[in-house]
Amino acid sequence: MDLKQQQSTRLTAAWPWISTLARLGLAAVFLISGGLKVTDLAASGRAVNAYDLMSWETAKVVGAVQPFLEIAVGLLLLIGIATRLSAAIAAVLLVIFIGGIISAWARGLQIDCGCFSKGGELTGGRTAEYGLDILRDVGFLVLAGILLWKPRSKFSVDGLLLGER
Amino acid sequence: MSKGDRDRKSAQARKIVEAQKAAERRRKVTIWTTVAVVAVLVIAGGIGWGVLASQNKKTEASQVTTPSVAVDEGTAFAVGTGPVTVDLYEDFMCPICNQFEQQTGPTIKQMVTDKRVTVRYHPVAILDEASNGTKYSTRSGGAAAAAAVDGKFTEYHDVLYANQPEEGSSGLTDAKLIELGKSVGLGASFETAVNDKTYDNWMTKVTDTFASRGFNGTPTIVVNGKQVEGPNNTLPTTAVFEQAVQAAEG
Repeated sequence: MDLKQQQSTRLTAAWPWISTLARLGLAAVFLISGGLKVTDLAASGRAVNAYDLMSWETAKVVGAVQPFLEIAVGLLLLIGIATRLSAAIAAVLLVIFIGGIISAWARGLQIDCGCFSKGGELTGGRTAEYGLDILRDVGFLVLAGILLWKPRSKFSVDGLLLGER
Repeated sequence: MSKGDRDRKSAQARKIVEAQKAAERRRKVTIWTTVAVVAVLVIAGGIGWGVLASQNKKTEASQVTTPSVAVDEGTAFAVGTGPVTVDLYEDFMCPICNQFEQQTGPTIKQMVTDKRVTVRYHPVAILDEASNGTKYSTRSGGAAAAAAVDGKFTEYHDVLYANQPEEGSSGLTDAKLIELGKSVGLGASFETAVNDKTYDNWMTKVTDTFASRGFNGTPTIVVNGKQVEGPNNTLPTTAVFEQAVQAAEG
């Protein structure tokens, strides 16, 4: 076996572990962001409304449903079921969030993105840090990308069902 | 055909069957896990929808006691009789609201005395999460509504800000809210309203109205329909506020 082959074998063995880290990390992101919002759905609705992208009635529904969806995606990733599909759904949500932040930024709104909080308008001289918010979400998107590419991971329901060790 | 050949053939056949079985298993697992994921998401969405629907019930007309003295679709308490309308949306837990009251409150009071403005105070509860689950924003706003019904809104409003609890603390207890009411001359009917949480659902409703008008933060200061802000969404200075009122007076 030459050196190149050896390296590629090692990488093949490492991928399930890398994917496991990505899966659990992304699960934590969704569970935490959903958990922080679920305690006050009215506030979550107001955070969605602050983006000024939909009517108040629609924002209220989105604000109520979104935290539960985030928690559901977090749980699905945590147990590792249909990992590729779950990661794809997570990626779609992240792309929507990034789009929302870019649109708020482009329109010059001064709002808290409500990513890990209930958001709302910024007051008292706090300034929006859209660049950082987007960068962070892109980081999460990379985790989802790893799972889309290499969905096999350790300690997952998928692995269990397929009889992998 | 030699014996060795036969063995090789049957081993190959076994391998093909095993591969087919594995593929079949993968297919089944993919289908069922996909179904499970979709089901979980639908259920999660349904829970969110259901919780929202049950919360919306709280603001149905039959569940809301609108304070008899409230103006502006029953959402605010008017002070003064001047031609310029100043709408102030405030949360009694919000420190910047208190800062605005300290900074510009005396000027506003003078404008009321001079019959230049009518101030409509809109209590809203956007910081309920910042009182360790005691929902101080809703409770204090509800108490202010009770004070308004008994004709002491301004006095009670001022005493609430003078005794504002720290954001993130448990807020003032109901007993303390009643005690403050008594200190400005409120009586038994006020005490009953605070204890019965008479106006708490109304607070939820007016907070909804606040959001539906496109406002997100407190304090929101609106002069004759135009929001007044400092640069970069900061609190307007008293001078900026005075200019806005002068502009509205034309």
